[in-house]
Amino acid sequence: MLSTARVASRRISSSNAKKSFATVVEAAGYKVSAVDNGEPTSSVTILAKAGPRYESKTGVAQVLKNFAFKNTSQRSALGLVRETELYGGVLSTSLTREHIAYTADFLRGDESFFVDALASSLTSTRFTRYELEESVIPAVASESTHAISDPANQALEIAHALAFRSGLGSPLFIPVQKSDLTAEDVKSYAESAFAKDNVAILGTGIDQATLQKLVEKYLGSAPATTGNKIAAPIKTTYFGGESRVQHSEHSHGALQTLFIGYGLASAVTPELAILASHLSTVPSVKWSKGVSPLAATLPEGASASVVLLPYSDAALFGLLIQAPTAEKAKEAGKVAYQALKDVAAGNVKKEELAAASAKAKFLATAATESREGLVSAYGPQLISGAASSLLSVADSFSKVDASSFTKATSTLLKSKPTFVAVGDTHHLPYPDEIGL
Amino acid sequence: MVGGPLGLSFASYIRSSRSLYKWAKPLANWYANISGYRKMGFVYDDLLLEERPDVQKALSRLTPRESYDRIYRIRRGSQASIVHHDLPKEQWTKPEDDVRYLTPYVSEVHKEDLERSKWDTMQVKRK
Repeated sequence: MLSTARVASRRISSSNAKKSFATVVEAAGYKVSAVDNGEPTSSVTILAKAGPRYESKTGVAQVLKNFAFKNTSQRSALGLVRETELYGGVLSTSLTREHIAYTADFLRGDESFFVDALASSLTSTRFTRYELEESVIPAVASESTHAISDPANQALEIAHALAFRSGLGSPLFIPVQKSDLTAEDVKSYAESAFAKDNVAILGTGIDQATLQKLVEKYLGSAPATTGNKIAAPIKTTYFGGESRVQHSEHSHGALQTLFIGYGLASAVTPELAILASHLSTVPSVKWSKGVSPLAATLPEGASASVVLLPYSDAALFGLLIQAPTAEKAKEAGKVAYQALKDVAAGNVKKEELAAASAKAKFLATAATESREGLVSAYGPQLISGAASSLLSVADSFSKVDASSFTKATSTLLKSKPTFVAVGDTHHLPYPDEIGL
Repeated sequence: MVGGPLGLSFASYIRSSRSLYKWAKPLANWYANISGYRKMGFVYDDLLLEERPDVQKALSRLTPRESYDRIYRIRRGSQASIVHHDLPKEQWTKPEDDVRYLTPYVSEVHKEDLERSKWDTMQVKRK
């Protein structure tokens, strides 16, 4: 669930749903679900609907994510680190545009300590000013700098801002120099972000009854929903636009990058997932040429990849083109966009569509096989309380035929494109030079 | 230094006993006045030994305002020392303003240092 993940659709099959996270129990006011498939290690994740989409001030979500596992009223940060090392476990956090996750991976038998550690991080972090200055802000700064130095990440950030403006368009990585966040801001955001109805606790490799008991023990004394609830998200609208940026000063020798994207103001559809698989340049057999129409006539050194970013009520689809020079990037952009237009015009053979459909189905099902994939697929539903009421993957993909696929693609291409150029802006192409 | 960065102190023991406190407090007030740092515009915590890494860390944790005020008091006191005069009476520190602003930070740093040495030297026995 990394900030830069470009994953295919995360729809899951209902037969999977029966085996995993099918039952949700309440423990101390929190929604808890766990599945035990006999793995040797256990993992507990606390997922909160508190990503940059819902943040009260710009950047506070990223700072809150970096404030995980710092001094709490029960133990100090040093004590937590040392004790975790003695037990042999991993504490980690992750941030996506919609969610913050605190995760603990540990050996079976150590649940008591690690659930306690997660619980105290959730409810009794002290948010001291000196910790913010000494450890959190430097971590945020280095994270942001490192992420933005990759022009692909920079292009995606700008694309989100153009496509969705506020909400999903809020930056994932903030430029820390301009930040004036105080520890009180982070504390008040944490109070609303970690309110009981905004959080789900998921476990893998751990028995549900055990997890429920532990949550009741360590989170039972947490106060009820306090502070101002996070405002209900505004309905996502897709806008689109164009932007050109010079490389950031930290990216030496970085590739010239173009992003040509379209957005949906609804959750990702099977047609979009099939489109992504059809155009995807990731071959099914490594080092082979693959059958993507995008890869056919790219200039040497240029690369094109398909980006499909699904959110709860929106999706961003696009082609990310990178090349060592601006001219090659322009050529590659033309070729790639032409391939997309071909699909919209209906030049997709039945066999190609079947292959893309099969690939999309596989990716969607395989995504839930890893712990991370399972949590990121089920966690959001658990928070909102909706049962796993998705159509089965097989049904949803098999319902797509050539006409609905072509129609969906051409409708997508009729919306306003999101065009981002990162690099040598004087030589990178403009949208009309690509054919947009 | 015995007792860590704040030195040896019976203050908490004296405060815990009502009669001892009643007897000791006027003596303490007299001593604080006669020692003369208030006449140079200082508060007591400006005089803490700062040439130690834990007190330096505590100083780095002061708020910008506290830090600015501390530096102002030190410069004002240095000037008074150069001209070999106390400050004019209006600038003497009032007893109610003589707040131990640095002590909480120093105690916290000292506690962290003790915890770190505890973790560094503990023996671990796995059941």
